[in-house]
This record gives sequence, structure tokens and C-alpha cells, in this order.
Amino acid sequence: MEQLKTIGRELAMGSQGGGWTGQSKEFLDLVKSIGEARSKAEEDRIILREIESLRRRIAEPDVPRRRMKEYIIRLVYAEMLGHDASFGYIHAVKMTHDDSLSLKRTGYLAVTLFLSDDHDLIILIVNTIQKDLRSDNYLIVCAALTAACKLINEETIPAVLPQVVDLLAHPKEAVRKKAVMALHRFYQRSPASVSHLISNFRKRLCDNDPGVMGATLCPLFDLITADVNSYKDLVISFVSILKQVAERRLPKAYDYHQMAAPFIQIKLLKILALLGSGDKQASGHIYNVLGDIFRKCESSSNIGNAVLYECICCVSSIYPNAKLLDAAAESTSKFLKSESHNLKYLGIDALGRLIKINPDVAEEHQLAVIDCLEDPDDTLKRKTFELLYKMTKSTNVEVIVDRMIDYMISINDNHYKTEIASRCVELAEQFAPSNQWFIQFSVSNNFTFQTMNKVFEHAGDLVNVRVAHNLMRLIAEGFGEDDEGADSQLRSSAFNIELLFLHSELEFIYGNSTHIAAKILNNILCNKFLKMVLIFYSCMCLFS
Amino acid sequence: MVRLYPNRCQLVGSAFISGFLISLVRSFIHFVILISRQGKVRLTKWYSPYQQKERSTVIRELSGLILTRGPKLCNFVEWKGFKVVYASLYFCICIDPDDNELEILEIIHHFVEILDRYFGSVCELDLIFNFHKAYYILDEILIAGELQESSKKTVARLIAAQDSLVETAKEETGSISNMISQAM
Repeated sequence: MEQLKTIGRELAMGSQGGGWTGQSKEFLDLVKSIGEARSKAEEDRIILREIESLRRRIAEPDVPRRRMKEYIIRLVYAEMLGHDASFGYIHAVKMTHDDSLSLKRTGYLAVTLFLSDDHDLIILIVNTIQKDLRSDNYLIVCAALTAACKLINEETIPAVLPQVVDLLAHPKEAVRKKAVMALHRFYQRSPASVSHLISNFRKRLCDNDPGVMGATLCPLFDLITADVNSYKDLVISFVSILKQVAERRLPKAYDYHQMAAPFIQIKLLKILALLGSGDKQASGHIYNVLGDIFRKCESSSNIGNAVLYECICCVSSIYPNAKLLDAAAESTSKFLKSESHNLKYLGIDALGRLIKINPDVAEEHQLAVIDCLEDPDDTLKRKTFELLYKMTKSTNVEVIVDRMIDYMISINDNHYKTEIASRCVELAEQFAPSNQWFIQFSVSNNFTFQTMNKVFEHAGDLVNVRVAHNLMRLIAEGFGEDDEGADSQLRSSAFNIELLFLHSELEFIYGNSTHIAAKILNNILCNKFLKMVLIFYSCMCLFS
Repeated sequence: MVRLYPNRCQLVGSAFISGFLISLVRSFIHFVILISRQGKVRLTKWYSPYQQKERSTVIRELSGLILTRGPKLCNFVEWKGFKVVYASLYFCICIDPDDNELEILEIIHHFVEILDRYFGSVCELDLIFNFHKAYYILDEILIAGELQESSKKTVARLIAAQDSLVETAKEETGSISNMISQAM
């Protein structure tokens, strides 16, 4: 009877054919019921029930392979929704041993989703990956390479490295491409194991297939970031490739929204930005192609603007060229004037890069920048503050810091609050017209103390503690000013600072739970200098 | 003017950058999440290490952050020192702060267009019931957090090749005589 029931079920599954999922009705029902669940609690109940049922069934002897495949998929589903299905991991591993592509592929998918590269079960998979990397069926090789990118770690690299290197010369481009990505991943995991093979990346740059070439740009970018000088000889090659891409010499399959291989263009622009930085000669090779891209770019599509933005980044990074900087400024202008928030955001970012080269370029866009500052979109606001931070000088520090303080008070995100606060203090400290101004500024804003409170609240941010420490040192050292009046005035403001500082600490200690109090005390006591300064100076001020 | 210490405006920034260079295990893309308008999870792919508990927290926080954003705002948000780029139906991709946000937005669209081609005008239901197929497709576009393939045609061809082999295998095992002999 049992067997007949099984056949019936198999027939039902089979008759769904490719159907709409090829999975059983049971699975469909499960997904539907999750979709209709009205609360997370209900969803959790359903999934936990499902997990229990799978736990029983998966342990039964002689589960047909196709059924096991479905169980594994259901377990992937359960884990995706945040539950633990670790009892199923071993079955997924076993499935990778299967000869049929359908099952092997599911096994690999499941293990890459379930496991991380330091999991105990990985040793059971490495042999399979090794075997599959040598398979005649290129699709199996691809599946193994994809899995290797996730699951191979420093220890297991040697087991698969030779095959992966061999696969760089495989007749199928899909395999070569994945082999490049795998080798890159190995390099990231353990540079020492792969450093003797880096020349392979240079070779793949000349691969016939644009997909492989495009994939090779990923590892080359990382290598160049780490050691730019060793790759200066490739500037001309990269420029040549970029030129060909921009001239539409790549197959149409790489077109995206009327742009020629834009993702490849972007990668190349990033690489050239690194190679040309601070190097007049290298930059000289890049100017022409950059000019071409500026001219040809479609500014009506998102991807066109993405490429334009990357051009601006490149121009502002390499050795300055007046014409290109003008083109960049013009594009930035268009971004800022656009209706789209995304483009305004990019415009603000681009402006931030351009003012490093020519601070005056910001003047023209003041109104646009203020608009962004007042925009209800938080993301845009924050980006604009970053720009202001770069634009601060002695002449505008007060205005800018005032704005930043206002904003800081209005937001709820504590992590960000601390960040803005410490930046304000840094700016005030760096650009303050005079020390006296700085002290007065701190006191009048009761500002450093808000920072300090937040600092201890968030378990001590090193930057902020250092700022406070230095403020205290400044006070302790005095200013070397001869004017008695000025000095005592400063000292009395300093005294106020001490008092306020201690006061806010005490308030904080008594007003909060003991473990935070302990932390603060610990901080103060650990910073002996701070403590000494506080005590010494308080006494001095009392007696003077 | 007493300079207290050298200009450390970028102190936090540079600490971040030097940390980044020392550890070469970085991902361009840290994770890809697909959530519905009601915050239900449809797809999650993690390219950086995140424990199961952390994953739930991430999803909850991002849902709260992104689902409440109005329609005309930027498709980017800052979150915990990273950036998250999102697009409708709420595909969310988390990247490092220095990366090109608009490019990532277009990578999302590239993925959606490929799904569209594969399912024929993809809708949420397709992704709900065929999430494992969406994973196969994602694995052809992104690998180890980087863009692996920018040609739709190439991705479609590879997926089709895999599917047809899977179908053949299914047909072979699906024949009735096979089933009966398996049951014996």
C-alpha cells in the first residue's frame, strides 16, 4: 500500500512536468500559507512545523533522490526565512556527490547558502569539488567553480588551485570566466598562496571573450589598489580596451540601455583613476579617451549617468587637465540641476571631489547645495553635510558648524549623531580663528559635553576621547598669552568647562544604570592624564 | 594658533580605509536581499560573513529603513557605515561607501531584466515559487560579491543549458517504468 501511495505521488509530480515549479503540491501549499500568514508569529509557527516534519522525513531510509532534492529546497527556504535547519546540511553535502546535474546543482546551491568556508562539513565537499573541476561536462565544472568561490578557504586552496589554474585555458568561456573569479577570490582569502600566479590575470585581460576580459578587471582592480606601480605598464592596454568599448567594437550582447558595455567601461574608469593618480605621464595617455566618453555619454539614462559620474571621479583623481575638469564641472552642474534625487546626490558627491582640485568651483553652486541641505531626504542631507565638511574654512566654520549642530539635534540615529558631533569638534578645532573662540564656542554650545555623554554612551569612540583629551591639554598648558586679563578670562571659562564636564559626568552616572557608570569611571580613571588635569586645574582656578 | 594634533579630519575615514587594505577579504557587494512591500523575505544572498542572528537583525533594520522611504527620494541610504542601494519590489544591495551607487542601481535593473526574460514578465509570484531558480540566475551575474557577467544573453544561454540538462534528467527518471522499478 505504501509503495502504491508513493507511485501515485510520483505520478502526480511527474505530470506537473516542467509545470510551474516542478515541486510538489505540498511545497506550493507551504509557500502559499506563508504568504497568507498575517503575522511573523504565525509564519514562524508554520515554518517550525515544516522543519519538524522535514527532520523526520529526511532521516527515513531510502528517500528517493528527487524527493530529497525537494526537501533540501524546502530547507533552503526555511533558512532564508531565518530559521535553523542545520540537521539538513549533511544531506545537502551528500547531494553534491550525485552524478546527475540536476541534483548536484541543487546540492551545490544548498551548501553555498547553508555553509560558510570555515564549516566542519567543508572537508566532505572539497573532494567532490576537485573531482567536478575535472568533469567533461562544462556545466558541472561551472557549478563546482561557483561553489569554490564561496566555500574554499585558506586551508583548502592548495587542494583545488592547480585545477583552477588549468581551467583558465578551458575552451568554454563560461568556465574561464568563473576560473578567473575563483582565482581572484583565492587571492583575497590568501594572497601568499596565489601571488606566484598573478601573471595569469594579465593574460586573461587579452582573452578573446569580452566576458572573460570583463571579469579579469575585478582582480586587476584589487591588485592595482594594493600596488599601483607594478601595473603602470598596463595603462596603454587599458586605454586601448576602453577606446574599443566606447567605439562599440564589442558584441551587441554587451549593450545595456543603448550604452556599449557600460559596466566594463565603469570598471576600466576605476582602474585608470588609480593608475593616473599623481602621475602626469600615465594621465597623459588617458585624457583623449576620457574626453571621448564625456562627449558620447547618454545623459538621459541612469546607466549613462553612472558612467558620466565615474568619468568625473576619474578626472578628479588623475593629474589635472583643464579641459576635462571643465567637462566634469559641466556634468556636475547638470546633475545638481536635475529633478532626480539620485542625480543630485551624485552631483553633491562629484562637487566634493572637484573642490579638492579647485575650491572655487563650489561658489557657483551654492544655491543648489543649500537646497539639498534643506531637502527632506535624509540621504541627500547627509551627503551635503559631507560636502560642507570638505568646504570648511576659517571664514565659514561658524555657519557650517551651527548648521551641523542643528541637524544633529534633530536626528535620532545615535551612531550618526556621535559622528557629526565629533566632526563638528574637529572642524571647530582645526579652523577656529583663535583658541579663545574655540573654548568659548565649546562652552557656549555646551557642546563637547554632549559629545562626551554620547561618547561614553557608545563605549568610547577613540577619536572623541582624543579630542576631549586634547581640549583638556590645551587648557592645562595655557595659551602663553601675556595679557593677564585675557588669560584669567580664559581660565575662568576653562574652569566652567571643568565644572560642566564633571557635572555632566555625575549626572550621567547617577542617572543611568550601574554598568554604564562603571564604564565611565573606568574611562576617567584609565585616562590618568585627564583626571590629573581636571583635579589640578579645578584647584588652581579655585585659588586664583 | 596652537595646533593640537595634525589634521585628522579623515581620521575615522583613513582608519577605515587602512583596515580595508590590510584585510583583502572584502566584498564589493556585501549582500543582496529581496523583500516584499510587507517586509517578507523573498531572497537573501550573503557575500560577507553574517551569522543567522545577525542576518535577521539586518533584514529587520533595513526593512524599517527602506520601506518607510517615500517614492521620489534617493534610491540610496546610509546604514551603519555602509551604503544600501534599493529598487522597487525592494531589491536591496549593500556596498562600501566608496562605490558607485548608480551603477549598483543599474546592476539591480540588469538582474531584474534577466529575470524578466527568463520568467516572461516576472512578477512577485514567480520569485516566491521559484526562488531557487532566481538564486541560480543571481549566481551567474554576481560571484563573491562582484559583477561576473554583464551580458544578458550569456547569462540566459548558460541558464538555458543547465535547465535543458535538468529537464532531460527529469524526463528520464519521470518515465513510468522507471518509477515502477524504483518502487520495487
